[in-house]
Amino acid sequence: MSFEMWAEKYRPKSLDGMVNQKEIVERLKSFVKARNIPHCIFAGPPGTGKTTGALCLAHDLYGEGYREHLMELNASDERGINVVRETVKTFARTRSIGEIPFKILILDEADNMTDDAQQALRRTMERFTETCRFILICNYSGKIIEPIQSRCAPFRFTYLSREDQYAYLQHVIQKENVKMLDEGLNAIFEVSGGDLRRAVNALQAAASAGKPIDAETVYSVVGRANPADVRNMIGLAMKGDFVGAREKLREMILKYGLAGSDIIRQIHIEIFRFNIPEQWKIRLADTIGEIDFRLVQGADEEVQLSALLARLTEASYEMKRGV
Amino acid sequence: MYAAWTVKHKPRTLAEVVGNEEVIRTLTSWIDSWNKGIPKKRAAFLYGPPGIGKTVAVEALAHDLKMELVEKNASDYRTEEAVQRFAGLASQYATLFGGKRIILLDELDGITGTEDRGGVRAVIETIKTARCPLILIANNAYDPRFSTLRKYCLLIEFKKPTILQVMKHLKKVCASEEIMADERALRLIAERSGRDVRSAINDLQALAQGRRRLAYEDVAWLAERDRKEVIFQVLRSIFYARDCEEAKRAVDAADVDPDMLFQWVYENAPYQLTDPRDLTRAMEALARADVYRGRIRATQNWKLLRYMLDLMTAGVAISRQRTKPSGWVPFRFPERVQWLARTKQEREMQKMIGMKIRRRMHVSSVRAAKEILPYIRVIFEDNAEMAAGIAKWLDLDEDMISYIAGSESQVKAIVKNLGG
Repeated sequence: MSFEMWAEKYRPKSLDGMVNQKEIVERLKSFVKARNIPHCIFAGPPGTGKTTGALCLAHDLYGEGYREHLMELNASDERGINVVRETVKTFARTRSIGEIPFKILILDEADNMTDDAQQALRRTMERFTETCRFILICNYSGKIIEPIQSRCAPFRFTYLSREDQYAYLQHVIQKENVKMLDEGLNAIFEVSGGDLRRAVNALQAAASAGKPIDAETVYSVVGRANPADVRNMIGLAMKGDFVGAREKLREMILKYGLAGSDIIRQIHIEIFRFNIPEQWKIRLADTIGEIDFRLVQGADEEVQLSALLARLTEASYEMKRGV
Repeated sequence: MYAAWTVKHKPRTLAEVVGNEEVIRTLTSWIDSWNKGIPKKRAAFLYGPPGIGKTVAVEALAHDLKMELVEKNASDYRTEEAVQRFAGLASQYATLFGGKRIILLDELDGITGTEDRGGVRAVIETIKTARCPLILIANNAYDPRFSTLRKYCLLIEFKKPTILQVMKHLKKVCASEEIMADERALRLIAERSGRDVRSAINDLQALAQGRRRLAYEDVAWLAERDRKEVIFQVLRSIFYARDCEEAKRAVDAADVDPDMLFQWVYENAPYQLTDPRDLTRAMEALARADVYRGRIRATQNWKLLRYMLDLMTAGVAISRQRTKPSGWVPFRFPERVQWLARTKQEREMQKMIGMKIRRRMHVSSVRAAKEILPYIRVIFEDNAEMAAGIAKWLDLDEDMISYIAGSESQVKAIVKNLGG
């Protein structure tokens, strides 16, 4: 077994190595062939190959020294639009030496930028379009402002099919000499939900115990990696243990750094999966919407979500009384 | 399991008692003098502020001298008849089996009656005929009720221990509870207690129980506690108010910081309002108060403060409709404030590790900390060899390794693999 993160080690280097997103890969290959690319938006859920696609594209376009022609920025890490703008300017201004006259700038998590920041980015993109092509990576292209969208070629990445994930994981399993049982592999499919990065991380963590991997091992690893479980918190609230639920919430926000907006989104999904009367789902959705709105306005995450948890406690109490 | 530390770590012998060495020597030699016949003063009157070890000193003394200690407190000598009930004991020098005894009348401040009547007079009568040492304890020996009583007693004043002495005792408690405590944290606790050892230990327990470390940040918020009594009063008014007016008035009168009060009400609401329907209304009122707080912050329009206050006081007060009274529910410190301090370092550490992962794995540091670090943690716990490889690959320093791996033995195993 090798001792680095497998998710990185087995990241495909070239477009030929990508197992999934066939149509997208074909289009990217045609860019390579034409020795030219437009500005692009890669949108889709996590772990579906957006960053890998961008890196492979650059690799195939420039060859082994591709790093010199490439810059990666992450909108959630770079503080403020001015930093982004200055960095982009310095990088984009100078012409690339070599056969291809432009560089590539990958801007990850671009949907985390404010509208103002995106407006500024749009002007930069226009100004330096001769010398620099942008690949914007995001989960939701809807959060990218219209003027940028209209200047970019859109690519929509989707979750990996079972077959694609299987092929990829088998490759890793063989290379790393992992003893994997069928049930273990199925469990990984289930918990990763088509997110390949999560699948590989779970695989490596499960393999680190050094025993043949069965379903039990996988679930236990994933459970240990996700102690802050929204479902668990809702369960406590619905059981009437508001104080316990609030403690979990506190843990999620303060200890594990989860964003209130992520937590509320998950609660919203879970409510509809719960075995509760239909009219209650809608009543709760209405409450969740109100709380979500307050969060957007900048209210305190724990206080607002606590009010929601209290509402869940009350709801389950009323349901039991048949109201 | 939840034994009070003040009891669990109470000094058993004189050597363990904090401070007042001189005073205790006086007391001991007076007790010794009983061996040479009945001394001039048949009673010793120990006095001084609460929580500094008066009772504990007497108990330890009895233990060291192997004497029987008969402890009585205020309820045992409230009236003349009550005192007479144990006066008989005091009139005998030795116990049935020849052992010696001390009679301790604790909490004398609680005695009723003037000096001519009732309990105090009966105590004086008991002292006059006592054939074994009688020890009285009160906070204030100069209470007018005790003016005659004092004449029959050897007065011994207990003084507050120094900050260093209180800290020394706190350290001992920490050591036996296996808590690594920061010096500054203990100093703050000692200072805040007003050198009241008992209250310092109570605070220590509230802050440190179940933890392995106590840092300064964990206790810094204690500074707020100077105003504990004021806050408790306001909380009582809010949670037990009969109408809006009553709840609002309490806050106007008290002059407490609205943000701090909010934290207190928010923390305590679920304990005070146990009916889920009441609680939902209260939490919603608090959430609405929080919305106003946000508006104030955004617009700097402080006139809106009155609405925030309405909701967090009266709004919570009138939420109590169905909760059945269940006696006295103690108020709790806002844990969230402690949490914020306690988890701050942890969040910073996660961020730094996130940056390391980011350099290698093409993700933002935030996402790295949230989505990749948890799996790395599992690997670090299960496989020291692979962990060492990953640590090298990510260029993690020893602090980071120790944060991720958790247990000390595993950290050692990983570091050993790194060396190889």
